[in-house]
Amino acid sequence: MSYLNSLRLHFAGKFQAAPSTVNNDPVHFDNRTFIPSYQKFGTGQSPRDVNGWWNPVGDAAWRLIGCRISAAWMKQAPAPASDPIHGCLIADSDRSVSAKLVDLDPEQQMVSEVWGMEIRICTENGTTLLRSHYKTAAFIDIWSRAPVQGDSAFGATYQSTLHDLEWGGIESSPFLQALRDSSVESGKLSIKFNVDGYNMNPGPDFTLGRIVGTIGPCAAGEPDHLVLGRHFMAPPQNPTPYQLNYCPAVVDAQARKIYVDLGNALPTTTPGGDIQPMGTLSLAYVDTKPESIGTIDYQLPRWYESTAGVVELPSRRALTSDELNAVQTNPLAWLAADTTGTLQAGIQEPPGGLYARADQFVFRMEPEQKSEVRVFATRFGAPLPGARIVNVFDPSGLQPSSIIGTAPAVAVPEDALNFPCRIVTGPDGIATLTLHAVDPGNPRSYIDGQVYGVRPMLEATLAYGTNYPFNPVEFISVLVFNRFKTDGPPTWYGSLQPIFVQYANLYPIMNRFLDLKDYESVCNNAKLLLLAFSLRREDPNSMPVTRDLSDAKRAAILEWFRNPGPDGKPLMGSPPPAVESRKVAAPSPAPAAGPPAEPMRGGKTAALARRLFLLRGKSLI
Amino acid sequence: MIQVKAELFADLDGTVAGLHKALQNAIELEHSTIPPYLYALYSLKPGVNLEIAALIKSIVLEEMLHMALDCNVLNAIKGSPRIDDPCFLPKYPGHLPGAVEGQLIVPLAPFSKQLVYDVFMVIEEPEDPLHFPVKALALAEAEKPLTIGQFYEKIIEQIKQLKPGDFSKDASRQLTTGFGPLRTIHVHDVDSAVEAIRLIVEQGEGTKKSPLDPEDQPAHYYRYAEIYYGKKLIANPDPKPGELPYAYAGHSIAFDPGGVWPVISNPHSDSYAPGTKARLMNDTFNYTYTSLLKCLHLVFNGEPDRLGPAIGLMESMKEQALVMMSTVTVPGQTAGPSFQFNPVNA
Repeated sequence: MSYLNSLRLHFAGKFQAAPSTVNNDPVHFDNRTFIPSYQKFGTGQSPRDVNGWWNPVGDAAWRLIGCRISAAWMKQAPAPASDPIHGCLIADSDRSVSAKLVDLDPEQQMVSEVWGMEIRICTENGTTLLRSHYKTAAFIDIWSRAPVQGDSAFGATYQSTLHDLEWGGIESSPFLQALRDSSVESGKLSIKFNVDGYNMNPGPDFTLGRIVGTIGPCAAGEPDHLVLGRHFMAPPQNPTPYQLNYCPAVVDAQARKIYVDLGNALPTTTPGGDIQPMGTLSLAYVDTKPESIGTIDYQLPRWYESTAGVVELPSRRALTSDELNAVQTNPLAWLAADTTGTLQAGIQEPPGGLYARADQFVFRMEPEQKSEVRVFATRFGAPLPGARIVNVFDPSGLQPSSIIGTAPAVAVPEDALNFPCRIVTGPDGIATLTLHAVDPGNPRSYIDGQVYGVRPMLEATLAYGTNYPFNPVEFISVLVFNRFKTDGPPTWYGSLQPIFVQYANLYPIMNRFLDLKDYESVCNNAKLLLLAFSLRREDPNSMPVTRDLSDAKRAAILEWFRNPGPDGKPLMGSPPPAVESRKVAAPSPAPAAGPPAEPMRGGKTAALARRLFLLRGKSLI
Repeated sequence: MIQVKAELFADLDGTVAGLHKALQNAIELEHSTIPPYLYALYSLKPGVNLEIAALIKSIVLEEMLHMALDCNVLNAIKGSPRIDDPCFLPKYPGHLPGAVEGQLIVPLAPFSKQLVYDVFMVIEEPEDPLHFPVKALALAEAEKPLTIGQFYEKIIEQIKQLKPGDFSKDASRQLTTGFGPLRTIHVHDVDSAVEAIRLIVEQGEGTKKSPLDPEDQPAHYYRYAEIYYGKKLIANPDPKPGELPYAYAGHSIAFDPGGVWPVISNPHSDSYAPGTKARLMNDTFNYTYTSLLKCLHLVFNGEPDRLGPAIGLMESMKEQALVMMSTVTVPGQTAGPSFQFNPVNA
């Protein structure tokens, strides 16, 4: 099942993502050294000019704009032209505010999640045919997709599921009826979208990018954020111009078809532009030599928008029995013809077809909380029972670095996050990895908690050393919050001021509503703030928008608002004695050692430059 | 003052259905004042003209309350407010819904004292202003006009004819949060329905004896007059015979003309070329505004718990409007939201 299915729709349009970039530098979290220029637009790449980077006034909004359904498929054929699904849109909520795009942490900015999104299928006049909630998910497989510098070059992909499905008047749409019928058992649908062509330059398209996506069925028990299928592994150093990125596929043995999602795998000529010509692209299985199964028409006009990169192969025929047997026991590969006509393997499955990945891979945890992670293991797409999975700390994908100062170390202390070194998959190929967090003890001082990376790996692949193809970004990111205790009944000066000041510093758009640094201003807006801080993280109106407030701090804030003093205002407490030496000078930027971060080209560019991706940590065996 | 069309009175024919229709018209009329007031409010730059902003905001909030009270009364007598309809939105510039044509044309315009005097004070002018008539509007017709106040009086008159069986007992169709009076006035019978309508009239117009509303705040007309005259309305501490009990003699309400964005007047989505930043912002604003109306429709049709999301949408509109109004589109002019129905953000 999943969106890689004969029953599916594709859509294409624009997305808007407007994060505040003040929090892109971990050192900006330090209230003691924060200076007003960190809230100003950056004026250059040098550490002295970078200020609050390229969008300090961002409000974290995530919107779908003009996303039209570009194709709908049923049983290997397009939905009838008379089906009203053609001409419909994929839209976000028409009864709540926009969804929000949020980083996990300033030292893990490579798993930005979309929170609080409602997804609708609606007609041109806004009539809702399907309303659903998008399960919060982070992007994965970010890569440099277009030949430019900076975040505009990037493509990335989001896979998740749609829940709480409310169907509208779909009597005249056989396609939507089929989609509804597919969801009866699981109560959900599968959605995948690819984003690229993000625009950071001032102008009409500022904060906009291209989005193409697919919606299809989701079977009960299926992972929410992962295709249970075949996974093509990009070589560590992608050769150009035949560079393809990680991508999944599913073999439908009954229909004798292979569905491959190239939506985030093909390079483009410009950001958000045409797919780069790579000659003939053919899918093959690699037995003793590559055997082609079919080619794709990726150079046709509007191919990308109308397919979202999903292809069905072989086209116009079914796999023969021999082919079916072969693809189920051999690696699949994409071949590209180079300028001499010689076929080059662009990307292929690893030998033996072994693969394991966590379904959900971003977690926020409270001290003493346990979280269960489902890890799926497969061989050539089939569940792999009894597989031993080794779990290790791997902080190499985190980004403990600052443009202007020294960023706090990540992933220490290790004993604040506990998990078993080994787990074994059950008959269904699924293993449960239990993460157990304890109080990390404020190791980062001015940033709450600590961020960790945990990588599950199939033990069978370790025999290959570091040579077994794997996807570096496929690790679990965990933010463990500090324990937090208030000063008796919480007061502004006793406990809460530093929390509010930090939000005021990092999220200057709030100045349009109130001054979060100022006790009186906070009191004057107590009702609205109480409402917003009371909301679940999944609510698009939830405060803080950054979703980085621990349960304990949230409880303290709510208690503070709900128990005002005799003057009717939340308790102020006593101001600390004014001590001159408390103020610490802002860091004086020095020329950066290490790779250039180029912050004005975007947070993801800078964060990527700061990753190490050296697999290290505990002994594996 | 706003003169109400005779047809609106004709709806009030003694039937419950007629009362439903009249209350729907009242809801639309109350709502129609909000976009122009918000437009002027948001055109004030942050940090300046703060007292003027606070006065306008206080009036806008009460218009929202009035809309909610009308909805509660309509729901209490088994009606269903219609808020998510494209026809619900007035066109600007234009006449307020139900108002006599050929009279006041209400624009979306940045704040100016002239706007307050020429438009807002006319909208809010009581039938008989209490000796603070800043302006006598030339009547278009010879006969005595029918005013909003009279329209509401007629509604009250007909509510008083209702029988207990005409009232709904469905608590889910009453909004009882968001504003203080909604917590205390639970509309469920003739007395509470009359109390709700009476509050609308008195907050808007004051009473016949005082410019103050029941909460001792100057009624809307007098609050706008304070802005126009630049002085707070205060009780005359020692009125001599023949002198008025109130005077615009309180502290000064300063107006800094430089503290207003040079916002376009009466924008329409076509005012912004497709593909421009301003068009995108306007379309997104209108999508948010339409979402708010859809959300409020649910709030007043049995889902009052959606008030929270509705407030979130209002805050989002504010943020978007403030960004638009500080965004220069052509030299010397900034963008402003057109307040149009936009059910898809395409």
